[in-house]
Amino acid sequence: MNRRAAAFILGLALALLAGGALWWWLQGRDSGGSEGGPAAIDAKPAPVPFELWVPDGIGLRVERRELQVTSAPKDRIRRIAETLLAPRPDGVRLFPEGVALAGIQLSKEGTAYVNLVWDGHEDPPPSGSTEELQRVYSLVNSITTNVPEARRVALLWNGLQRTTFAGHLDTSRPLVPLASLRTR
Amino acid sequence: MKDRRFLGLLALVSLLLPVLVTAQAQRAEPPSVPVAPRQPTVLLDGAVLPAPVTLAPTGPLFGLAALVNNLGGTLEADEAGESFTLTIEGKDVVIGVGSAIITVGDNIVSLSQPPTRGEGTLLVPLDFLQKTYGDLAGFAFEWRPGVQQLIISRRAAREIPVLLDVVHLQGMTTVVLQFPEAPRYQVLRQPGQVDVQMMGDRLAPPPAPPVVTDPLVQGVTISPEQVRIQLAAGAQASSYVLENPFRIVFDVHLPAQAPAPVAPGPAAPEQAPGVRTIVLDPGHGGSESGAIGPSGVQEKELTLTIARELEGRLESHLGVRVVLTRNEDATLPLDARTAIANQNKADLFISLHLNSSLGAGAHGAETYFLSAEASDANAARMAEAENTPEPALPEGTAGLEAQDLELILWDLAQTHHLLESQRFAAMIQGELNQTLQLRDRGVKQAPFRVLNGAAMPAVLVEVGFISNPDEEKKLQDAAYRAELVGSLTRAIGRYKALVENRPEPPQAGQPAQPAQPAPAQPSPGPAGATRPPQPRSPGRR
Repeated sequence: MNRRAAAFILGLALALLAGGALWWWLQGRDSGGSEGGPAAIDAKPAPVPFELWVPDGIGLRVERRELQVTSAPKDRIRRIAETLLAPRPDGVRLFPEGVALAGIQLSKEGTAYVNLVWDGHEDPPPSGSTEELQRVYSLVNSITTNVPEARRVALLWNGLQRTTFAGHLDTSRPLVPLASLRTR
Repeated sequence: MKDRRFLGLLALVSLLLPVLVTAQAQRAEPPSVPVAPRQPTVLLDGAVLPAPVTLAPTGPLFGLAALVNNLGGTLEADEAGESFTLTIEGKDVVIGVGSAIITVGDNIVSLSQPPTRGEGTLLVPLDFLQKTYGDLAGFAFEWRPGVQQLIISRRAAREIPVLLDVVHLQGMTTVVLQFPEAPRYQVLRQPGQVDVQMMGDRLAPPPAPPVVTDPLVQGVTISPEQVRIQLAAGAQASSYVLENPFRIVFDVHLPAQAPAPVAPGPAAPEQAPGVRTIVLDPGHGGSESGAIGPSGVQEKELTLTIARELEGRLESHLGVRVVLTRNEDATLPLDARTAIANQNKADLFISLHLNSSLGAGAHGAETYFLSAEASDANAARMAEAENTPEPALPEGTAGLEAQDLELILWDLAQTHHLLESQRFAAMIQGELNQTLQLRDRGVKQAPFRVLNGAAMPAVLVEVGFISNPDEEKKLQDAAYRAELVGSLTRAIGRYKALVENRPEPPQAGQPAQPAQPAPAQPSPGPAGATRPPQPRSPGRR
């Protein structure tokens, strides 16, 4: 083996070492970033346990569910709302079939705006007060207890903040969670 | 030769490098010294408690039942054993097995890890104990991982100075108790007085005893154990809390239609408190059907039928004037309903509804009064809007800020009647349970729009679940409705007698009883309810 071959092998080894070090540094920066402040958001969804408030006959009960989410608060709110709107394994739906999530917004002051739509229906579904409480506070309690950035929730229907959803609750303003609905 | 040496050195480094790296990694690990495993223990004031401790990877868990036996309180499980209610110092803590969220009174609290089952009991994490027994009963908890011991001690009583301020303005007296830090306390109400009782803390009273000259507050006494506010005859006190600095504020006023006494002496007969006009609000109507029963019966039809039947009964039995917010199948905005009550100077507002639930089998009656959370959130949003630009709303969104200012005024009006609304709601609920043998679903609070603007005691009654086939059928039966109307009439009669200071007519199936003591303090709103930084004008304090 001549000197040139030896230099080549040494250069290759150094290049591999440098490449490895660079890869290691980038990995470390990624994982550190996800723990940082709001500017650093992990765009990769990962399974995260959530405590969802789901209807339980006479109120709401808390159910642990694992959802694939990024660290972005808006993404978490969206996934929570989508999960609650989907039919449950026992067939119970929070809202009638066709009610869908049209948009999420989160203000700097901590108000989450959840916009629901229902094709072909101008008004939300009619209901009694318990049903309205279950619908509205399933979303409000689930979002505010799982996403610290959302301290209150404003529910919109077809983009409008309505006086009430079903003739009882005051939904014209952002709502804070209602603990007393938890079943015991 | 040189090449060979160079290559040899390279090979040596390549071989040694992994060995060096491994050795370095091993140095970072703690030395494995054999240590005899310790038995985790729980100590209360130095004595060992027989409470099981489980060392989970996420932290230690402690057997709750044994701790309840030693620290006080009661622990009850539901039928399925999935939900537990721990009661400490009169506050309920609701625990779900496997859920990291608990409710402590009106607060929702997140735990570091969920309570779980193990060792034949319910196991809870350290922060559960700190947020329940620590905050409610004044215990301190310290986990020492080195010796695997939970040290429980009773916190030393703090001595907290209190400042008193009493201001009377426009027929209402505001009593403010100001503290440099939040004390642990409970508010106890009895006829004619309100006590702020310390729980584990002591008060440092002001050097001179307070002298109060006020038409609605006869006196305030401060001792290390409590503050006692003596109310004038017939006066009521509602309370709320302000932060920074911590203040407990009592608004003392006379019930609706009873003007504040400006001078000692008997009130004129026409000014005496009473129930003369009642507004009944048949829920929904017109394009708003309300809940729909399995057989297609609409809530708006039955609420109107019940309201008409109740109207006749109230007029004939109690001799009161009754106004219906609607007497036909017409759409009526929620705010217009309370406006009718206010315009008619009603003494009571009763919104009649039929219930529905997302779960099967729900049945029974419920009576609601307003949760002040609604007004708090509204006022907070207004305050927020003054200081910050409007947040970007989703496309197509329109706000309703134009209505907010007037709503705040109406919201404050109902806030002054919360205690009376709660008392009235309890009477209605009691009669419904007694007469109809319904499942007691209790008196509840919620931010219901139709109660917001009522300037008098106001309740929303859900007389049954129209979503339940059995109750839907019963509610269509005139005989059943007659019983229902009878029980509502009795409840209104009892409340009327109470307000008019007469002996109450007997409850269904019971002998006549003396006037009820004042109910427990209504909750101003759920946990995290956003409160205005200063809901009263600065000139009032």
